[in-house]
Amino acid sequence: MTRSPSRSSPRSTELGLIVLTALITTAAYILAGFGTLASLPVDIGPFLVVILGLLVAAHLATRRLAPRSDRVLLPLAGLLNGIGYVFIARLDEGLAGLQATWTAVGVGAYIITLLVVRRTRGLERYRYTFMLAGVGLLLLPLVPVIGRNINGARIWVRVGPFSFQPGEPAKIALALFFASYLVEKRELLGKAARHLGPIALPRLRHLGPVLLAWGASLVVMMAERDLGSSLLFFTFFVVMLWVATERASYLAIGTLLFSAGAVVAWRAFDHVQVRVSMWLNPWQGIAQSVPQIAEATFAMAWGGIAGTGLGLGQPGRIPASETDFIFAAIGEELGLLGTTAILIAFILMVGSGLRIALRARNPFDKLLATGLTAIMGFQAFIIIGGVIRLVPLTGITLPFVSYGGSSLVANYVLLALLMRISDAVDEDDPAPDANEGRYPAAREFESPS
Amino acid sequence: MNRQIRRLGITMLVIYGALFVQLNVVQVFKADEYRANPANRREILRDFGKPRGQILASDGTVLARSVPDVGSFPFRREYPTGDLFAHITGYYSFSFGSEGVERSYNDDLAGRTGKVSVDGLAKLLVDEERTADVTLTLSPAVQQAAKDALGDKQGSVVAIDPRTGALLAMWSNPSFDPNAVSINNQEAAGAARTALLADPAKPLLAHAYRETYFPGSTFKVVTAAAGLTAGKVTLDEPVYPASATYVPPLTNLPIRNFANSSCGGSLLLILQVSCNTAFARMGVDIGAEALVSTTKAFGFGEVPPIDLPNATAATTADVAFFDRNTPLLAQTAIGQNTVRATPLEMALVAGAIANSGIIMTPHVMAEIRDNDARVIDRWEPRPWRKAVEPGVAATLRDAMINVVQRGTATRLAVPGVPTAGKTGTAQIGNGLSHAWIIGFAPADAPRVAIAVIVNGQEGASEQTGGRVAAPIGRAVLSAALAVTP
Repeated sequence: MTRSPSRSSPRSTELGLIVLTALITTAAYILAGFGTLASLPVDIGPFLVVILGLLVAAHLATRRLAPRSDRVLLPLAGLLNGIGYVFIARLDEGLAGLQATWTAVGVGAYIITLLVVRRTRGLERYRYTFMLAGVGLLLLPLVPVIGRNINGARIWVRVGPFSFQPGEPAKIALALFFASYLVEKRELLGKAARHLGPIALPRLRHLGPVLLAWGASLVVMMAERDLGSSLLFFTFFVVMLWVATERASYLAIGTLLFSAGAVVAWRAFDHVQVRVSMWLNPWQGIAQSVPQIAEATFAMAWGGIAGTGLGLGQPGRIPASETDFIFAAIGEELGLLGTTAILIAFILMVGSGLRIALRARNPFDKLLATGLTAIMGFQAFIIIGGVIRLVPLTGITLPFVSYGGSSLVANYVLLALLMRISDAVDEDDPAPDANEGRYPAAREFESPS
Repeated sequence: MNRQIRRLGITMLVIYGALFVQLNVVQVFKADEYRANPANRREILRDFGKPRGQILASDGTVLARSVPDVGSFPFRREYPTGDLFAHITGYYSFSFGSEGVERSYNDDLAGRTGKVSVDGLAKLLVDEERTADVTLTLSPAVQQAAKDALGDKQGSVVAIDPRTGALLAMWSNPSFDPNAVSINNQEAAGAARTALLADPAKPLLAHAYRETYFPGSTFKVVTAAAGLTAGKVTLDEPVYPASATYVPPLTNLPIRNFANSSCGGSLLLILQVSCNTAFARMGVDIGAEALVSTTKAFGFGEVPPIDLPNATAATTADVAFFDRNTPLLAQTAIGQNTVRATPLEMALVAGAIANSGIIMTPHVMAEIRDNDARVIDRWEPRPWRKAVEPGVAATLRDAMINVVQRGTATRLAVPGVPTAGKTGTAQIGNGLSHAWIIGFAPADAPRVAIAVIVNGQEGASEQTGGRVAAPIGRAVLSAALAVTP
């Protein structure tokens, strides 16, 4: 049997892509150095070693711990992480070392997750632990002593010298809980009480979980003023509910509930009104001070199609350019080409994640992969859409790209879980050798329902 | 579940597609609009980080240059000639934007034009700034002569080469020191600008091409041109009756001559003594259509296409306006009421007579050179409009020579050089008037045309223009003739 390149071992493909990622990142780093200082960055040696070392370490661990897992997810995450690092280093040298450290911790968390979680189904029995952990983490910033208000949002927790955003690990814990809970209850929740035309309405008492999640998301939105996370939690919960029950009515109910909540919040809270009016008219009051969304728009427009070139723009003018607004900084210096590349990277990751979900054999893996992918995809959409004014701006991090330890570590754990599920997909295959095509079309399009 | 997962995938594709569309809107389709937003400081910040080309006078005198600075920016703009060319060069300020040549030739000075950058591509790898120097047509000698001649009096002086449209001098008093508003200390620059804005004499405003005044009797040149063009006036006909007052139709308010003197006669004589009653009669006789069309042919009603920002148009009423306003038509014919002109426009009127009826496009740029002193742009003289036929221009030239030889403008005569001119005194009430002179020399082969206005002078007789403005015009004509070959 001949082995065409596309059918070579996933790990070899992955290694090749990782080398490419390392090359791109290093080249970008050198260019950014030339652009800002007109000289070769002095710490180029250690930097190369760190980037290459971390990516290769993650690759080797995957090779050993999940040999048949997806081949593009890790290089894509590495690429996003690398480009993010280049911009963070270029924007604030002080943050570069921290971000490198967090990348190392993130890759460590990735390896540990693969090491500890050998079968995702083993996680099912901890569902209520995950629920408690998730809800607890979510509400942790509200605890008086350790909770911190930063930039008007109460989403930080500070213990001793360490501060982190518990919302980031919370979303994984909640995805795990939702997946296992919904797998058990999906039959029940899927039963229609009565039909309203084409819409099958669920029984009233089965709406309990939806209402609970809605309430939780509203608490997050109002008490912590964290609109982005609130939107994200509710969205991925409703999506998981819909996928699990195969009932579109949950989507409709979820949308209605969220819209109602949003309208109430808009009426009741100044900070929500500010966000909406800034979205509709970012030029308001521009004579006194330039709103951050307008500054981001200026940056992206200044970049145009090809960008100013790395290190040659003025992204320092954008507020929070290392975190929530890093996409605008990329837009300024790499232009439409760079921002499109980031979009493509995310849509490829989403595609890979959903493909993993499609191939997963057991419903728990399917749901978990769907949930984790939805988190990543929607999170990137919400913040990118906010920065470019497609939707109102709600501050959350851009996965793998933004500066921030909590976000980076959580996303690497999320990635490890997806990898684990994709590895299990193939473990279940009866005879890998006889299955040269690996993903036969027939199975891909079978309907399990 | 797979069906839902596939639908989720499609949904994701759709919303990411929406992101891509919006990215194109922000970064491509509306990019220019966002870049031009006044609150967007990126362009000016970048430009302030690097040196800028020089602005030079016609003799090479540096009018504006970038000098190294300590503080907010590595460079600051310096204007070695102080207030002398402030209304021409303008200023280049971080806080207040730019004005004058600094604004109209910003792309060249900043090294951003196609000509500079395409050529500069090859030199991209060597660390060299590609900016261009702009050389102006203005002469420091003529400009200084204008400033000295006007002295403390408020007013404007414009000197132009009628053959090319090149400005030789353009001075308005009061002026300002562009260094004060261009310094990088934004507080000090702001204080300087606030003080300038508070000055009732408006020193920041380049009155010479941005402020309009009643042209008074200098406009009689245009009225005469209209009469000649319409064929209703010749050197001999008509002979206007000698009178001290003229009552136009539809009113009983008479138009008077200065000091109620009596005057009349044919064209040469009525222009020589600047006879109000005769020209008012001429305006009514030839009609609104003839007067307005010639007025517009001289450029009234249109912003002159000068290469300086925000020039102001001279104004005139439309033909229809005069349908029931014959009295106003009479007043318009003597340069009052419905006509207003900038000093620049009146210099163009004089230039049109000097240049056989053709008004050349007025300009300040002579040429633009890159860092290697290669010329990348040179002003090609081009006509702006045809004001009158050459024959009409020749007749008016003779009439204006006569005014200098025997009439109200004798003080304009440059010794040894045949000079043509016309005075004006536009009354503004309280016994005050704007004193005007327009003219050109040498009258047989004109090289310089001028317009001078001295604001708010004591006296309201027709002699005021000749007494106050003509000597200034003569000084500027002499200085300009010395520098124009």
